[in-house]
Amino acid sequence: MSESKFEKVSSLVDYYIDSEQQTNAALDKLSKDSHLSAAWDRYHLIGDVLRNDVPQELQLDLSAQIAAAIAQEPTVLAPSSSKNTPSQFIDNLKSKVVQFAKPFGSIAIAASAAGLMVLGVQQNVAVNDTIMPAQVVQTVPFGGTANPVSLNFQQPDRAIKKQAYIEQQRRFQALLSDHQQQIKLKSILVQSSTDEASIDSSKNTEQ
Amino acid sequence: MKSFYRIILLVSVCLSATSLVNAEENKAKQPEAKELLQRLSHSLKQLNFSTSFVVVKNNQAEPYHWFHGVDQNNAELEILSLLNGPRRDILRKGDVISYIEPELPPYSVLASHISGPIPSILTKDISELESSYDFVSVGRSRVLGRPAQLIRIVSKDQHRFGHWLWVDQNTGLLLKLAVITKKGQLLEQVQFTHLDITEQPSESIKQLQTAELPHVVDLPKTNQVKKLNWQVTWVPDSFKQLKANRHRINLSKQAVEFMMYSDGLVEFSVYVNPSKDKDRPAEFVMDGATVVLNQAANGFEISVVGKIPTGTAKKIANSVVIGITSRLGK
Repeated sequence: MSESKFEKVSSLVDYYIDSEQQTNAALDKLSKDSHLSAAWDRYHLIGDVLRNDVPQELQLDLSAQIAAAIAQEPTVLAPSSSKNTPSQFIDNLKSKVVQFAKPFGSIAIAASAAGLMVLGVQQNVAVNDTIMPAQVVQTVPFGGTANPVSLNFQQPDRAIKKQAYIEQQRRFQALLSDHQQQIKLKSILVQSSTDEASIDSSKNTEQ
Repeated sequence: MKSFYRIILLVSVCLSATSLVNAEENKAKQPEAKELLQRLSHSLKQLNFSTSFVVVKNNQAEPYHWFHGVDQNNAELEILSLLNGPRRDILRKGDVISYIEPELPPYSVLASHISGPIPSILTKDISELESSYDFVSVGRSRVLGRPAQLIRIVSKDQHRFGHWLWVDQNTGLLLKLAVITKKGQLLEQVQFTHLDITEQPSESIKQLQTAELPHVVDLPKTNQVKKLNWQVTWVPDSFKQLKANRHRINLSKQAVEFMMYSDGLVEFSVYVNPSKDKDRPAEFVMDGATVVLNQAANGFEISVVGKIPTGTAKKIANSVVIGITSRLGK
């Protein structure tokens, strides 16, 4: 086993391979070489231990268990269609009836599918109803008109706008928390203290 | 054939009779809503309960635990804790209410109620709201595995949200609360997830009885002013000014002049401060049902925050008139 082979696996585990082609090639090798796949398992385990991600009960070889489970499952064989039955006539008649009934059958299926869809949609709405509307926690221009956003749209002052946006978000946050704070203090009689100097000085700088 | 018609006639007569009865029942329900709300207020104050609820807004859920008890002197004891994120607890022993929050060192205030996600008016005299809201008892449903009565607190005008309350039929306690727009859009809800009512106060409440709360503080950096040099010239009916002061906003250190209004159920705040931007169009965000609106005009920034519709907030912000003789003036 060359060291470089394992290196590939290692970088695959850590998402260090960039090109898709290389990834595919590495995965291909991995699936064919049991040494490599063992290394793959090991590297992941090492990573999990380092990240403190190890579950309470460690199942070291899940793939083997799954393979065993699949092997144990009973094989379902499709029943062979009996062709040369004596009652050819009845069979013919049956197939005619089936042919006749088929369109109705599919309509019925389509209708029930549509019914399911309607149910599904209603379900969806109901769920939305009980959970939440997607409320915006984001600046919305008051008129409801958003700036056009497209790749071609030139925004030379994008950085400035972003700065303004961040500033606005901060302002909103500060106002919201102050409002909640003030509600807490709502029912209290306040002893007056002189704090006018502070706001006056801030006004003076504006003038 | 004749007898067939007769049967139909009989059935329709029966149906109309029952619908008449229903209509009368509905009429009779009108005062019932208020009685239920009074019972709710009584239960919230008098029962020993431990309960959990989640506040659902902005596609997020905030879980809370709430204990309530009454001691032998009939004083209320309460613990309300936010269970996710940094600790936020509110403790109450009678009139002393302590807030434990990450932003500030723990402090206590003297107040008649805690201010959490449940509107405080629900523990008080609900008839205060009658001038601006109608109470409607709507019907029964199942909430938290219990039979519940739905009561709508409906605004009489377009300028405020409605509140829907699901109240337990057996105990009169709150099981669910939703803030709904006039058009029926759900903005915020409080869903109780667990409710235990006991004869005796719970262990946590007993521990609180012996615990020592932080000192009651004189409010720092607040200044109750009779009159500021600007006015809000329009507010929806029955909103009264609760206070007006100058203070600094904790997070931004911005000095502001501030007024708070309340109609008994909801509050809104108006902030005015000098702005860097001479004019800035109004922008807003919604935090559940709470709108934060901010605009600048003539070098002053005006902000409105509260559980009111955006249109109302905008109208309030536009109605702010900054006095000509104002010291704020340029």
